[in-house]
Amino acid sequence: MQPPVAEPVVGEAVDDGGVGSSGLAEAEFDKAGWGSCGDDAIMQQEASIMASEAERVPLVGFKEPLSSLEAEYESGSPILLNKIKMLGEKYANIRRTRGDGNCFFRSFMFSYLEHVLETQDEVEINRISGNIEQCKKTLQSLGYADFTFEDFFSLFMELLDNVPRGKETSISLEELESRCRDPLVSDYVVMFFRFITAGEIRNRAEFFEPFLFDMGSVDQFCKSSVEPMGAESDHIHITAISDALGVPVRVEYLDRSSCDMGPQCANHHDFIPSVCQPSNDTVNPFITLLYRPGHYDILYPK
Amino acid sequence: MASKRIQKELQDLQRDPPTSCSAGPVGEDLFHWQATIMGPSDSPYSGGVFFVMIHFPPDYPFKPPKVNFQTRVYHPNINSNGSICLDILKEQWSPALTISKVLLSICSLLTDPNPDDPLVPEIAHIYKNQRSRYEETARAWTQKYAMG
Repeated sequence: MQPPVAEPVVGEAVDDGGVGSSGLAEAEFDKAGWGSCGDDAIMQQEASIMASEAERVPLVGFKEPLSSLEAEYESGSPILLNKIKMLGEKYANIRRTRGDGNCFFRSFMFSYLEHVLETQDEVEINRISGNIEQCKKTLQSLGYADFTFEDFFSLFMELLDNVPRGKETSISLEELESRCRDPLVSDYVVMFFRFITAGEIRNRAEFFEPFLFDMGSVDQFCKSSVEPMGAESDHIHITAISDALGVPVRVEYLDRSSCDMGPQCANHHDFIPSVCQPSNDTVNPFITLLYRPGHYDILYPK
Repeated sequence: MASKRIQKELQDLQRDPPTSCSAGPVGEDLFHWQATIMGPSDSPYSGGVFFVMIHFPPDYPFKPPKVNFQTRVYHPNINSNGSICLDILKEQWSPALTISKVLLSICSLLTDPNPDDPLVPEIAHIYKNQRSRYEETARAWTQKYAMG
């Protein structure tokens, strides 16, 4: 067996025993490097588009008055303007997240952590920790290697551990904001949620399969639409993460759809974890997100 | 974080090596590996040993590893630069994947080319329309370049 040529010498006549043009091909490879594949060029272009978006919107933005939303739609359709007016009756603020395909998970992350930070709800922290432990076992039973997910899990647990006050490591809301804007923290948490979501969907494949329609099998869906960073989320992702972590989520829809019941009809959907459903108590989601086609932001009730 | 993860991948590969491939760092640099892939027995690459370069980006595992063939291969999805057209090395990369899974996917790609998303349209055309000619050439290249 011949050892591979690690550093091809450009321009040198090599007797490669009838290998023909391989010397040339290697020289071209050396010159063209990684950028020679068309897909690489596309990926680079996408990366530069994301970078320019990054300059405009941080991963997690600041809390803004809801009027900033209205300003975006000054000459918008009457349906949208009416819906924004209705949102204004219920909500006071909006917090935007970057539109990089991770906006749902990013919104979920900040909204959840902000809630436990403000309420200092230790019961909730213990409850979700139990669910996370269960999710870990699910991933192991599905055949995920521990080393693929453990760093993401421990980073989230660390963040959750910093939320209760009175410890040396306790963090303020400002510190939470800055960590959720730091890709080294934020992207790890997004990936943590992607693991949780994929684990839940795979574990309950029979339940989720009918919702996939033409998106392929549960395995294909997880590989192409859940596990890769930047893959956008929809109902299936929200249902899965809400069930897996036992966290109810309300989504307000701001789109052009009108409904039969007239303009006054409620235009939101509550994702209630299946464990909460048998009880007769009304579950009030503490996470509320605003959905506009292709994007999620955080809403703050009045 | 990247080097910690790469270290874990290396340990995993040493503990539980895939049957048809091997991989490890070339020298001191943990971010630069070389792998060998045995041509699958049910393919025209059977009997060949293919060398593959792996470069881990600094933000691994958020970004995919860069994987290139060093051995010439006659295949619709692998070009003369050694570039590989494989979804999990591009838009479908996920931190949930591992080098071990990437190498196994490359083995599957050798057995089952994807002529509908070709990197070398001429070979894809021959693969689709003159299968035996494709197999013959792939076998000849394997003999010429991948059997030392």
